[in-house]
Amino acid sequence: MSGGSMLYGGDEIGALVFDIGHHSMRVGYAQEDTPKAEIPSAVGVSEDGTMIDNLDPEKKPDPSSITTSGRKYYIDTTTLNVARKGTEVVNYMKDGMIDDWNLFEKVLDYTYSKCIQSEAVFHPVLMSESPWNVRNKREKLTELMFEKYNVPAFFLVKNAVLAAFANGRATALVVDSGATHTSAIPVQEGFVLSQAIVKSPLGGDYISMQCKQHLQDNDIEVIPPYMIGSKEAVKEREKARWVPKRNIPEVTNSWHNYMVKRVIQDFQNSVLQVSESPYDDKVASQTPSVHYEFPNGYHQDFGSERFRIPEALFDPSLVQMKGGVVGNTMLGAGHIVSTSVGMCDVDVRPALYASVVVTGGNSIIQGFPERLSRDLSVRIPSSMRLKLISANGCSERRFGSWIGGSILASIGTFQQMWISSQEYEESGKSQVDRKCP
Amino acid sequence: MASGVTVSDVCKTTYEEIKKDKKHRYVVFHIKDEKQIDVEYIGDRNAAYDSFLEDLQKAGTGECRYGLFDFEYTHQCQGTSEASKKQKLFLMSWCPDTAKVKQKMLYSSSFDALKKSTLGVQKYIQATDLSEASQEAVEEKLRSTDRQ
Repeated sequence: MSGGSMLYGGDEIGALVFDIGHHSMRVGYAQEDTPKAEIPSAVGVSEDGTMIDNLDPEKKPDPSSITTSGRKYYIDTTTLNVARKGTEVVNYMKDGMIDDWNLFEKVLDYTYSKCIQSEAVFHPVLMSESPWNVRNKREKLTELMFEKYNVPAFFLVKNAVLAAFANGRATALVVDSGATHTSAIPVQEGFVLSQAIVKSPLGGDYISMQCKQHLQDNDIEVIPPYMIGSKEAVKEREKARWVPKRNIPEVTNSWHNYMVKRVIQDFQNSVLQVSESPYDDKVASQTPSVHYEFPNGYHQDFGSERFRIPEALFDPSLVQMKGGVVGNTMLGAGHIVSTSVGMCDVDVRPALYASVVVTGGNSIIQGFPERLSRDLSVRIPSSMRLKLISANGCSERRFGSWIGGSILASIGTFQQMWISSQEYEESGKSQVDRKCP
Repeated sequence: MASGVTVSDVCKTTYEEIKKDKKHRYVVFHIKDEKQIDVEYIGDRNAAYDSFLEDLQKAGTGECRYGLFDFEYTHQCQGTSEASKKQKLFLMSWCPDTAKVKQKMLYSSSFDALKKSTLGVQKYIQATDLSEASQEAVEEKLRSTDRQ
């Protein structure tokens, strides 16, 4: 391969696509249908590496638990989910943006050596960012990719734009319901109208919190699997009979909470459903209940609460004010959309309502798009035409932005859009503001 | 954000032939080899709207296209006694839900390039199914900016 073909990233070698979210980072080769790996954004950090080394069966240095200056990092589910003494769980994301750069670099190191198993020098990188990412973080990321990883080419795209394109729209209103936020992002001709973004902190994590509260109120203990040694089968709603595992290292609170959250997330995915119309006790109690068994063996049917908990996404006023959670001031999903469109120019409003794209991991809750469509239809003027677009498959919606990025990076003519390493060397990191709007 | 797909000269001349000379009724564009937007079908001046829709979907349900149509309708302004005939050009991106994601991505990220080379088009329409591409839906959109 000649040096010239490397200049613009080159079509010959697969570009890598990174979609960075609060819950996880999706990584894979362009042109593929699904990401190669999904790595949790949460990382286990222990201050004292020497103690834990003895527990590792293999003695040779393992890149998934990188030790630097006495610190040890546990990245990805297989190492993170092992109970270890004094390991704190830290997330490198904050407010949808990369916050802890040191930790982020560790995760990138791990990604290249374990998931991609190839060197960064060979692959152009396309990354997604949140639509409200700030300038210095974008420049810092560009600098990091070129200076530390020596990537041949780099590109940064707003994840909302990718999701809109992947659904066949250049102008759309993207409703992205992720772990920490549900946001409405107007996209016009492939550009985000950033002054009209509306976001609310009602996301998957919030629903997890509500679930936890509900379980606590009903005296249902959530015991993460790591604590359980053995258990016996019990009758429905009977007290669980289980024996704690012995010799559990003294885990930290943050790690324990993370494990509890994982159980709750599973509960959330299997039980919850958004009701089709505004929540009503009578209707909800008539729908079939869902059976769920917790890791410690306790099991019961869940009836109306499966609808009541996610109702908060659409009607935050229902939220009980417990545990210091801000309640009524937040906007429901339908409200976010209409507020965002209301802030846009009158001329684009019809086009935005005619293509509302639903994406994000939290939108997989059963019935989410249907309910949003219903709420919006009563909210918007009757002269407007409303159309909700959502990918049918669960993975298409979860990886919506990643799939968009994967295709974009594989389009032949896109090769001229990359920031090449040569351009970076000539003009520096400010290239990202010029080439990646 | 754009894909870098270019627009062929034939597209531009065909567009001028419709806009200025009124030689054709419609054009259907496609993206050739993922590189360049090119003319696929040209509709006769007295072709009907239905044949436009037919040409737009001729490639199959999994394919996206762009279409440009010179639309005629009559419109009566308030306070005038006679209805006037109006001609409006619209450019449509046709991305059916059944199309592959790659096609959708390619066509939606390249739409801007075509827009820039067809200046003077009154309306841009994004259609994913026939309810958005039908003659009635299009006419409603074109009329929405007329004075009453």
